[in-house]
Amino acid sequence: MLRKTTRLFALAAALWLAACDNNPHPAPLHKTRPDGTPWVVRYQAIREDPRSFDPQYTYDQISRKVVEGVYDTLLEYHPMKTDPYELQPCMLAEMPVKAADGLSYDFRLKEGVRFHDDPCFPGGKGREVVAEDIQYVFQRIADPAVESPFESTFEECLVGMAETHKAAGKKLDYATQRVAGVEVLDRYRFRLRLTKKYPQILYWLAYQCTAPVAREAVAYYDGENGREDFRKFASVGTGPYRIVNYEPRSRVTLERVPNYTTTVFPSDGFPAAKAEWLKTLAGKALPFIDEIQLPIHHENIPRFLHFRQGYLDIMAVDKDSFNAMVSPMRTLSPEFQKRGTILEPAFEISTFWISFNMDDPVIGENLKLRQALAHATDSKRYAEIFYAGVAPVATQLLPSGIFGHDRERQKRYPFDLEKGKQLLAEAGYPGGRDKDGKQLELTLTGQGAGSEDRQRVEFDQRCFEQLGIAVKVNSVTFARLQDIEDRGDFQMCTTTGWGADYPDPENYFMLFYSKNVSPVGKNYFRFRHAEYDRIFEQMVVMENSPERLELTRKLQRILDDECPMVPTFHKAAYLTLQPWAPRTHNNLMYEVDGGHKYLVTDTVMRERLQRELNKPALWPAFVLGGLVLAGVVAFIGAVRRSKNQTA
Amino acid sequence: MDFFTHWLTQDLLLILGLGGIAFLLARAARSDRWSRAATRFRADRTGVIALCVVCLYLFIGALETCRVPVGGGATKSMLDFVIGGIPDERSYSAPFSNQILTDTKPQPDPLKSQSHILGTNQLGQDVLVQTLKACRTALIIGGLTSAIYIPLGALFGIFAGYFRRWVDDLIQYIYSTLASIPPILLLVSILFVLGPGLGSISIALGVTGWVGLCRLIRGETMRQSERSYITAARALGQSHWNIISRHLLPNVMHLVLINFVLGFSGIVLSEAILSYLGVGCPVGTASWGVMIDSGRSELSRDPVVWWNLTAATTALFGLVLSLNLLGDSLRKAFDPKRG
Repeated sequence: MLRKTTRLFALAAALWLAACDNNPHPAPLHKTRPDGTPWVVRYQAIREDPRSFDPQYTYDQISRKVVEGVYDTLLEYHPMKTDPYELQPCMLAEMPVKAADGLSYDFRLKEGVRFHDDPCFPGGKGREVVAEDIQYVFQRIADPAVESPFESTFEECLVGMAETHKAAGKKLDYATQRVAGVEVLDRYRFRLRLTKKYPQILYWLAYQCTAPVAREAVAYYDGENGREDFRKFASVGTGPYRIVNYEPRSRVTLERVPNYTTTVFPSDGFPAAKAEWLKTLAGKALPFIDEIQLPIHHENIPRFLHFRQGYLDIMAVDKDSFNAMVSPMRTLSPEFQKRGTILEPAFEISTFWISFNMDDPVIGENLKLRQALAHATDSKRYAEIFYAGVAPVATQLLPSGIFGHDRERQKRYPFDLEKGKQLLAEAGYPGGRDKDGKQLELTLTGQGAGSEDRQRVEFDQRCFEQLGIAVKVNSVTFARLQDIEDRGDFQMCTTTGWGADYPDPENYFMLFYSKNVSPVGKNYFRFRHAEYDRIFEQMVVMENSPERLELTRKLQRILDDECPMVPTFHKAAYLTLQPWAPRTHNNLMYEVDGGHKYLVTDTVMRERLQRELNKPALWPAFVLGGLVLAGVVAFIGAVRRSKNQTA
Repeated sequence: MDFFTHWLTQDLLLILGLGGIAFLLARAARSDRWSRAATRFRADRTGVIALCVVCLYLFIGALETCRVPVGGGATKSMLDFVIGGIPDERSYSAPFSNQILTDTKPQPDPLKSQSHILGTNQLGQDVLVQTLKACRTALIIGGLTSAIYIPLGALFGIFAGYFRRWVDDLIQYIYSTLASIPPILLLVSILFVLGPGLGSISIALGVTGWVGLCRLIRGETMRQSERSYITAARALGQSHWNIISRHLLPNVMHLVLINFVLGFSGIVLSEAILSYLGVGCPVGTASWGVMIDSGRSELSRDPVVWWNLTAATTALFGLVLSLNLLGDSLRKAFDPKRG
């Protein structure tokens, strides 16, 4: 009897152990492709739930990361050319043709590009994308019912956008109210007419907001009778993937669309280090991956643990995992080196700064004071402390990769306390005191929600106080900081910067254009300079050329001379990739871990290495078992002794 | 505002505060009950040691609070004279170490000025100095909060217990409403309205922290009100004010003292929790809570930065434990059942 029980117990334990698996992902949609080759899955985490899958409505990074693979755009960034960034046709047959006066562009769509098969189409078969769909896209942007955040951008540059938006009232009548600036020339050709010269329009055509959507899909997905609402989580795109599953607070799953032929892997622009490998992919059909699983991880630590177990293919190194993954020599830590993990720096197209309010009576009217403060800013040490030396010190407004960025440029106001003190004295505050002997007190506003944020602000405070002045800190939340900046209710702001919407110098220099003074625009410095405005207006309408380059340099010189802000650093992070998922492109306009269709994954290697990484450690079970056994023996002994004593 | 931030005002307030406490204790010691309690307390070794530790913290906090001019309008704290002059490093360095942790090459750095007993934090500040300076924050918040919640709790408790009827109903209604709101949420909401600052934290803790004391005093007052000496005072035609101030208040003061001592540790902990949540001390203020908060990311570093967290938690633990032991000893000393 005892033997039988023991056997049953052993069998149950074996079954229980066999069922144990630490893989956090659900099974892939398929095991093999129709041709018998392995089904390739990619796993990469996103930080939040997406807000919507509607390309004309959504403007947040997370949603963009999801819809990027679903909706192809008219133009796209070349995945390898990043300095400067370069546009190439995606759904277009060729690059747009600009009219001689620069006020209109002609476009021709590729023939045969189809929407994904979906019940919204007759017979469930996706129809071809035609020029009329582009008119529909801009109508949707103009439609107040869609609440597109891009309407204001196109209102300024596209003929008829403002009028259509205004005339629409609460909801646009799509049959009669068309956007005049979008002319459908024939089945595949269309023209965009602009209100002013605006070459940056092309960058917006590489953004998901102008990606074609089918009017049939919008009409079908109306949120009624169990159907999803198109403005929420329905999607019928033209890209290489379609969304097959979205579980809120859990994951988004994308599956490859069969017969996708709109784009192929590029054949040029390969970085020298990867050229040999990338040449083997040149001209190949896209995408390489069959399924993309995007688990939603709100916290850093689970993301790191899953990456360490091999259950995520890519991870941007955050501060919580930095020292576990990166050694003091800025190489991979020995543990991850042994695993074959790949470490790559990823520079964001952004610049951070300390801003001065030019309307402030103390700071705004005293150039020497601003210059003194600029000399007291130790950006190198800041980058070393808070970005482990990865983030480059900013010597100018424009970050690397944007036309006009000068690699050779030195910081106009390098860290030099003596020089700062001298300028402070010239500003009327020798030793940090005014003529009455009263210590100068300035207010520094910055984000202070977390401990690291507080330390950043404290760092700047201490830098400035080395000049002998007193600096009062106003630490606020990010939302409050933006409000303060818009209202101009500050003297100096820190922990702020600008990430590029598109890689054009206009996107940065417009921050100092007098017509953009907040709250109308984002010139919260309240910088007004007639010469700057004149050069800016000239530069905005130009194509990249030596003349335009000269103008960007002039604008930078004016900013240096007037010092409305002190550039501090360009944000950067380390990216870690599993050895089975090397990075094919380094284009940050696709987001750090975007550009899905260009990515590759070696599933055979992953399976092998995952097994090695997740070998069960049995010793804790033995130790625990031993302890339990010892406890049981001790208990039985105690009971027996107690019985003996009683007897 | 300048008046309150002036060094002379702060010094005077400190002297007045400490002098006031000493005066009240001296006055109270005249009564039989308090002198008996003092005799019993002196016999309690744990209590005496705890009192010494608390006094040490008070002394350090007072040294940091007390500022003196050093010329040119600048001031320095007394603590700076004692332990000042320790230079900052560029970033983290471990206790007694001669290298900086953020260096690209982990080797002795000639720029590093000296080793630090408890190491340095991310901004290169000496952790020992920061830990000692944080005593001031704890004491200011503890002191100011007590100055707000003790009068509120004691008076409301006595009024409710003595007058009863609608006064009792009203006070009960107020504190029941306050107690029904989760304390951390209430604190955070008040701090968002008032903005950051030691004063704001004290006000927030003060206006939310009087309920416990009020309930205690209300119950004790009700008990005392039934006693014959209160009935006699009433019969003799004494005014309410006289009865409250001369008879009731002295007889509940021991509860106030015990609650103050035990509550003080709770306040210091609350400050640490609020700073940990990011709504506590303003930027640049040394605080154990802020140090513990930064420990969150420091513990995930490799090598682990443990000294900042260890120093803050040890200092916090020392003060809170001592205050709790002191409170227990005082409770025992005032316990009438001990004869």
